[in-house]
Amino acid sequence: MVLRARGVAGVLGFAGLLALIEWFSTGRVTWLPVVTVAVFLVSTAAFKMLPWKGAIFAVRPGSRLYSAVLFGLFVRHFAAILETESRRVLTARRLCISRKWGPGWLRSLAFALAALLNRTLVRAERFYAAQRVRGLGE
Amino acid sequence: MKPVLEVENLSFGFERERPVLRGVSFSVVEGECVGIVGANGAGKSTLLWCLLGLLKASGKVRLLSKRVGVVFQNPEDQLFMPSLLEDVALALVNRGVPAADARQTAVAALERVGLAHAATRPAAQLSLGERKRASIAAALAAGPELLLLDEPTAELDGRAVRQLAGVLAGLPVARLITSHHLEFLLGLASRILVLSEGRIVAEGPAGEILGDASLLEGAGLV
Repeated sequence: MVLRARGVAGVLGFAGLLALIEWFSTGRVTWLPVVTVAVFLVSTAAFKMLPWKGAIFAVRPGSRLYSAVLFGLFVRHFAAILETESRRVLTARRLCISRKWGPGWLRSLAFALAALLNRTLVRAERFYAAQRVRGLGE
Repeated sequence: MKPVLEVENLSFGFERERPVLRGVSFSVVEGECVGIVGANGAGKSTLLWCLLGLLKASGKVRLLSKRVGVVFQNPEDQLFMPSLLEDVALALVNRGVPAADARQTAVAALERVGLAHAATRPAAQLSLGERKRASIAAALAAGPELLLLDEPTAELDGRAVRQLAGVLAGLPVARLITSHHLEFLLGLASRILVLSEGRIVAEGPAGEILGDASLLEGAGLV
């Protein structure tokens, strides 16, 4: 529950950051931060509520629905990868720094986020390669 | 014996001045189990990626088998469906095989690797050894004539390695396995290629190659 609350807080924080950037750069705020939160809520609800198990057997291969189901499953898997990698990188950072807000906290956070981006790209590349080899690109 | 894979003078480098593969040539015939050994960074995984066309290398790669199955080092790169059964059946469903037939073939493939009992569970809930065997089942379900395996024993404990070896030994398809687990390959492969600094420095029967201590020492394997 704590993690879920943190996740929601993270998305709200990200939307707030988007709003701030928009405000400082153009002097006005568009619907982008609201859309960001809405997409998060809708996609989270979809991933929790849709019956993913067995879905691939229920749709016709090659149809639009088939592509949509596969895409949903890809995103679902990749969200799990992102969660695992974030947890690893942020735990490693926490173990390395002496105090949460001590000297170098921002620098270490920046390095951790850069490492996360790098790891995620590597995982995405491997995942793409593996699925392509399995014939999912055909 | 009919060849299923022929590689001729394959070269590749991420940077021009630092080649990873230098003029690699070999072939694999049907039903044969070939091991590629090499220290970390010798170019084993890069070689597999080049064979699959995922990296663009110079030289010739002739995949003469109709279907090639691949087992990547990390099963999480391959298995992403809500259940093992769907993961194993996916390649067939994607090819247009009717769902009932795909299910049947997937169950048979899972039985072959000893995972029929876990068919309804997602890969994330299994041990690493089970996930590796599930990846093999997913590759087998598509009916390959050649199976490429990248470091299948990486991070596995002794029992999981033995179970994996048991599964691989009984397969009637050609297998090309990259590994630096020499004991594993000794009991499995009929032929070994030694890859060192991007070149094949030795090739021969498994017992002969893996019994040559100075060769293995030179290749950084012991």
